[in-house]
Amino acid sequence: MPRRLVLTLCLVAAATPAWAAQPSADAILQRAFDNYRAKNSQSTLSMTIHRPTWERHMGVRAWTRGAGDALVRFTAPAADAGNATLKLGNDTWVYNPKLNQVIKLPASMLSQAWMGSDFSYNDLSKSEDLISQYTHRIVGSEQAGGHAVWSIEADPKPGAPVVWGKVVLKIRDDSVFVEETFYDQDMKPARRMTVDRIASLGGRPYPVVMTMHPLDQPNQWTQVQTSDARFDVSAPAYLFTLSNLQNPRS
Amino acid sequence: MLAALAWRNLWRRPQRTLLSVLSVAIVSGLLVFILSFQNGVYGQMKETTLRIFDGYAELQANGYADDPSLDHAIADPASIAQQAQKARGVSVAAPRVNGFAILANGPRSYAAVVIGVDPDREARLSSIPTRIEAGRYLQHADTDSAVVGDLLAKNLGVGVGGKVTMLGSARDGSVAADVLQVRGIYHSGIPDLDRSILEMPLQRAQVTFQMQDAANTIALGGPSLNSVDRALPALRALASRAGVALRDWQQMEPAMSDEIDLKYLTSLLFYVALVLVVAFIVLNTLLMSVLERTREFGMLMALGMRPGQIAGMVWIELLALAAIGCAIGVAIGGAITFWLQQVGVVFPIDPKLLEQFGIPTRLYPSLSALSALAGPGALAAAIAIGGLVPFGRIRRLTPALAMRAA
Repeated sequence: MPRRLVLTLCLVAAATPAWAAQPSADAILQRAFDNYRAKNSQSTLSMTIHRPTWERHMGVRAWTRGAGDALVRFTAPAADAGNATLKLGNDTWVYNPKLNQVIKLPASMLSQAWMGSDFSYNDLSKSEDLISQYTHRIVGSEQAGGHAVWSIEADPKPGAPVVWGKVVLKIRDDSVFVEETFYDQDMKPARRMTVDRIASLGGRPYPVVMTMHPLDQPNQWTQVQTSDARFDVSAPAYLFTLSNLQNPRS
Repeated sequence: MLAALAWRNLWRRPQRTLLSVLSVAIVSGLLVFILSFQNGVYGQMKETTLRIFDGYAELQANGYADDPSLDHAIADPASIAQQAQKARGVSVAAPRVNGFAILANGPRSYAAVVIGVDPDREARLSSIPTRIEAGRYLQHADTDSAVVGDLLAKNLGVGVGGKVTMLGSARDGSVAADVLQVRGIYHSGIPDLDRSILEMPLQRAQVTFQMQDAANTIALGGPSLNSVDRALPALRALASRAGVALRDWQQMEPAMSDEIDLKYLTSLLFYVALVLVVAFIVLNTLLMSVLERTREFGMLMALGMRPGQIAGMVWIELLALAAIGCAIGVAIGGAITFWLQQVGVVFPIDPKLLEQFGIPTRLYPSLSALSALAGPGALAAAIAIGGLVPFGRIRRLTPALAMRAA
């Protein structure tokens, strides 16, 4: 009888997913990324850029492939429609319809604002860095809205070519990002991305409204609202090419 | 009466007096020249560096210094520039739009600062128009033209007549895109500028960056840095009236300002040492003569002079000596400095090395009341203060003992 009990316990332990008992920070983060972008994704979003003196609304279509590739096309307003950004691995190109030209972004530009927003090109092209260039540890957990929420601190690996001093993420137990705070090299919070609404989208819980706040500019923010998303539907390979960036086939 | 006595005493030992006068004169003259030379070199360094691009002062939109973005703009730069030009000492006020963009030529692309400029005013303010290596500077009627630094041109692989594509963010957040033709390539000698600045016509930049009639900064120029510095109070009043910020050269080039302050400070140590050494030599001579003259002082006291009067007499001797020495030093040092100020001084140093520091090959001292009088004045003051030392000794003298001294 004791033997069988031990055996049963062992079996139960083996069958239980590791995270249920003792989730690792790496695993939580990786699953949140997987939930956010899947193997590949197609989405339609609107971006609102708020400034003390003006506000802009832009329409966006975005495609991602794997962890490294992304294509973002602006559809509105008319003045910006047709502008597009393509990211393949570590390289980023932009297309401007007025110039009818594709320009590769120099590394020195990657920290600049992306299309006048509070996101930088780095947010687009270096998103993967958060997994590969940082070490992660769980620094806290709390209960919110019927979910457990993990706080994970990401510290740059020694010598990692990153701009942040550290990043603190809050991730729900259903692998949805809730908040992301970026600290500068002096460990002061520099900007914070908040998730304002989580809903089911494309068959999964998804942060459909996210807002980036630069913390030194109180009246300034950029909000991204995802209205439609499909995950793990195969996208044609030509989508992520320079020629498609300049002359979209669809 | 005391002065007459002192004067006569000075020439009882003409050789000793002349030697002391000479050492005071030489050091005074030297100080006049060194200070004037230092002022001149730093002045030229400042003017040369500021004239390349910054201007001698700058009006800018409030908040621009902390966050140099297109958003911080002066709505009506034309009228403010016109008012600034009316300030005495300011000869030109040049509005500028300062954007940031990617410049591309085919597969090559680099980040650059894009400055919209008024070509005519820029020519009176900045030396970039005179440092064109190939092609020409912007002209009044230019539209889609640009001039770039030689390093930027090399990086982009573009020559005169070539085209560069510009892509950045406009003031309203939309995309600022333009294609410009390179008309000229400049070499300012400052690698940071040559690598990163493209100048284009102001109006075109205002359209491309959605600025309407606005500008970010107004660079100010004048016949000299001093003349603009003197206009600062008037400019400050104008700035607060117009709701813009004024920055003087120290605020625009804080590193250069600090460097010059540091150099003045280190050379000050040297001047202090020089002044002290000469003052001690002169005082040493004085002490010796006081010792030698103990008998004489005893005699004077026996005749009814009070010790205080004797000490005063000795002090006046010393003051006269210092005054003569300083006067000769200022006269000769000033004359030589004034002459060199006309013809200039050339040092056998590689001109390229000097160019790096913004120093021209021919250097001109700058003689002023301050540079002529500060050194000799300090020397005279040091001697005058040190000359109080023998007072104690003289006051303790009694006629009988003093007269019996050797």
